[in-house]
Amino acid sequence: MKTSFIKEELLFQQLATAFENVVIEIVRKETVFVYASKEFVLPILLYAKEKLGYNSFSHLSCVDWIENDEFELVYIIWSPETKINLFVKTRIDRQNPTMENTDMIWRQINTYQREIREMFGIEFPGFVGEKEFILEDWEDVPPMRRDFDTLEYVNDTFFEREGREDKQDVRERIAKRSGEEIPDFAKKYSRE
Amino acid sequence: MYNDNNAQTIVEYIKNFTRKNSLFMLAYGTGCGAIELPATLTSRYDAERLGVRGAATPRQADLLLITGYLSTKTLKRVIRVYEQMQDPKYVIGFGSCTINGGMYWDSYNTIKLLDKYIPVDVYINGCMPRPESVIAGFKELQRLIAEGKADGATKYKENLDWYRENQKKVLKNWPLVEYNW
Repeated sequence: MKTSFIKEELLFQQLATAFENVVIEIVRKETVFVYASKEFVLPILLYAKEKLGYNSFSHLSCVDWIENDEFELVYIIWSPETKINLFVKTRIDRQNPTMENTDMIWRQINTYQREIREMFGIEFPGFVGEKEFILEDWEDVPPMRRDFDTLEYVNDTFFEREGREDKQDVRERIAKRSGEEIPDFAKKYSRE
Repeated sequence: MYNDNNAQTIVEYIKNFTRKNSLFMLAYGTGCGAIELPATLTSRYDAERLGVRGAATPRQADLLLITGYLSTKTLKRVIRVYEQMQDPKYVIGFGSCTINGGMYWDSYNTIKLLDKYIPVDVYINGCMPRPESVIAGFKELQRLIAEGKADGATKYKENLDWYRENQKKVLKNWPLVEYNW
């Protein structure tokens, strides 16, 4: 059966007529991506909420594109009428990461922005919220950034149990000793 | 039995006997391991036949179970709770997270060795330990108490500076209570 994209096409037309400088992509059934620059995010979200009925905010997440020196923010909103997930994606500069505050549209964006400010260090000017969300007394690089070396931080901060410094893979030795066989699908994880 | 070779005086023997048979456990779950405790305490495994039962507040409790991973944020509260408990007090480290970090061995926000921060009497390994192992851990703790070897509270008092130094390495801007024991 051929999948029809009637309501997705309709959303495509509505967004394309309202905004010029955005790239719209129908990814699959009930999933539409919108790529926009950061000053268009607030108008798109407002338009989708007020005119198109996308009144349910699902998620705001962040992706660290360290190779391109950019952060990508993804706003996911959903319409109970068309059942389409609308992803609004925007890229912001990684050296000076600021993004417009959008928590006047949906109040729950406030919580997501607090998390992203703490975990990625992105600032939202004009945004009122408690400084600390999950971490307390964090002084290092924001921990979800990819240039934060978790293992190095752990080795500096926490203690290690003595006696396991060599960290050998003893699975094959144990299997040999007890006469068991490691199944084929598990062999690729072996370090020996 | 436990009093061979006059190792303990009769008063100590009776004291340890009564202590080991009424362990009040603080109802405080720190990680995912707390889900094993309802099974341990209720009718199937019935830890109360060993004298282990729940206590509502730290001051009424003898036994603190660190059930699973311990984030640095929870460590602050655990230290606070441990210091509020009154003297015959014992700690059980529960699950591999408290022993060597377990699956959180490279996590930026969970501690790896519990016994650097508070004294631990018994470790129960496993991820998660089943109620049988939890009961084995309780029995082991009772053996240590009966022999007079579960002296974590004394150790903590005597080496408070060492423990504070380790705690402050993780909890940087957190006021820890100063004692003059």
